[in-house]
Amino acid sequence: MMRVLALTAMALAGTAHAAPEDEIQPVGIVAALTQEVVEIRSNFTGADFLVYGAVTGLEEEDDIVVVVRGPQEDLRVMRKIRTLGIWMNRAPIAFEDIYGYYAVASTQALSQFATFSSLRREGIGMEHIRLSAPDHEREETRFGVDGVVVTELGAEIVDYRRAVVRNRAREGLYVESPGGVEILDGGLFRAGVRLPPVTPVGEYALDIYLFRDGVPIASRRTTLQVRKAGFEQAIYDFAHERAPLYGMIAVIIALIAGWSAAEIFRRR
Amino acid sequence: MDIYLPIAEVSVNLFLILGLGLAVGFLSGMFGVGGGFLMTPILIFIGIPPAVAVATQTNQIVASSASGAIAHFRRKSLDLKMGLYLLAGGVVGSVGGVWLFSFLQATGQINLVISLCYVGFLGIIGGLMLVESATALWRRYRLGKTGITPRPRRRRRGIMDALPFKVRFPVSGLYISLIPVIGIGALVGLLAALMGVGGGFVMVPAMIYILRMPTSVVIGTSLFQILFVTALTTFLQASQNQTVDLVLAALLIVGGVIGAQFGARAGQRIRAEELRAALALMVLAVCLKLAFDLVSDPADMFELMETTGGAAS
Repeated sequence: MMRVLALTAMALAGTAHAAPEDEIQPVGIVAALTQEVVEIRSNFTGADFLVYGAVTGLEEEDDIVVVVRGPQEDLRVMRKIRTLGIWMNRAPIAFEDIYGYYAVASTQALSQFATFSSLRREGIGMEHIRLSAPDHEREETRFGVDGVVVTELGAEIVDYRRAVVRNRAREGLYVESPGGVEILDGGLFRAGVRLPPVTPVGEYALDIYLFRDGVPIASRRTTLQVRKAGFEQAIYDFAHERAPLYGMIAVIIALIAGWSAAEIFRRR
Repeated sequence: MDIYLPIAEVSVNLFLILGLGLAVGFLSGMFGVGGGFLMTPILIFIGIPPAVAVATQTNQIVASSASGAIAHFRRKSLDLKMGLYLLAGGVVGSVGGVWLFSFLQATGQINLVISLCYVGFLGIIGGLMLVESATALWRRYRLGKTGITPRPRRRRRGIMDALPFKVRFPVSGLYISLIPVIGIGALVGLLAALMGVGGGFVMVPAMIYILRMPTSVVIGTSLFQILFVTALTTFLQASQNQTVDLVLAALLIVGGVIGAQFGARAGQRIRAEELRAALALMVLAVCLKLAFDLVSDPADMFELMETTGGAAS
């Protein structure tokens, strides 16, 4: 709470010093999170937090976008094809460095205020999120431009990309919320972010962009960490770092449980 | 109340898992089966990753078969020599199965193979059991009406007697080839690794109809083999694939062992033929549900699979 007040004071100071008309004001963004570390414990069912901050030099027509990008991972996407009457996973495509979590919140629908090229360049929005399948890509010269990345899959790649976004959206991992950023008085803004129960662990990057005349004119990055904690962390580490011992303990626990159940119920 | 499973990496309702464990434990105690063939598909239906469901369920079977095996040890109602030969086959099957599991996971076909195995085995076993118990019920009905006992069929000499590597099993009173014994053991080990089942539903009929072991030692011997094969499979899945979830296993074990004890008591009050017919219908129901899912249009035509191991924390 103290931080909110401090930010408010800063923002107000910024506006107080605002120069009169004509002079171009430098823009800047300050931002913070209500929670910088999200801990996954045994009662974890997802998490909610706020991104808040202030923009100096915010004008009436400006828009703010908050993008949250989770840790990257490699992904294989397979298409279900009916084979001998049953649905089989076929035609795998390997995607590399795909965000495990991706959320975009903005003051209004992205297409209302941002140009296609700026969204594409920054990777903002479900249409522009970076989803690359390097095995099927090569660079070509097209329309006199060098290094245009094209895919040999043609239009089919679009189905696969949409499938990634759709599957992730269903689990609450890919979220787009036009109107999710709220602008308060004096250049203050805030946006709510929801992490679902299946949230991957790792480093999250939060980028706040200020858009004016269709392009981002300022941005600010802050980070968030999602990690397993306490008992969940201990079990996970144990299972991965000392796998054989973990396996032995799992067996011993089961043996003791089975044996003691037999003993308890035999006496009755 | 929701609880986060550290290896499955999903949240599940604590009471749902405990309740399912109790219900399946009750049925398994009543019918004298492990219950893996019911629990593994249910775990997958509620959103546990199949790899974790299979491996963790194997761990639960260690517990449920341990309590049964101990009772048979005390009564000496098992053929230890036969059990050891079955176990030797089981080790081969389990090691091969865990390796095959990793391979299928890497190629994205594991879910399909698990489903196909279930449909195939449950269909065959359920069908055979239904026919067998219906025949028994019909015979009892006829016996009550006419008082005529049908003459038992004479045992014929077949391929079984012609196979080499014969060994004497004094407890079972058999002099048979090792080939079918090791083969059955290996098949059960493979099923434990691929399907997360004890394999009793395959082994018990195989012991009775193929090996012709006396019924008195069949259950004890199969529990002995299942106990060691599932223990080995749990260990291998945990050390090779890191797919055993201790939290989920603990919940399943608690529900399972308690449910099984009550089920065993309830089972004593029902007649064997009716019990077998009911189990057969249940097995066929699970089989039909899985078969339907294989052929009906999927909700999404694409499936996503993570190819990097669990995210580093």
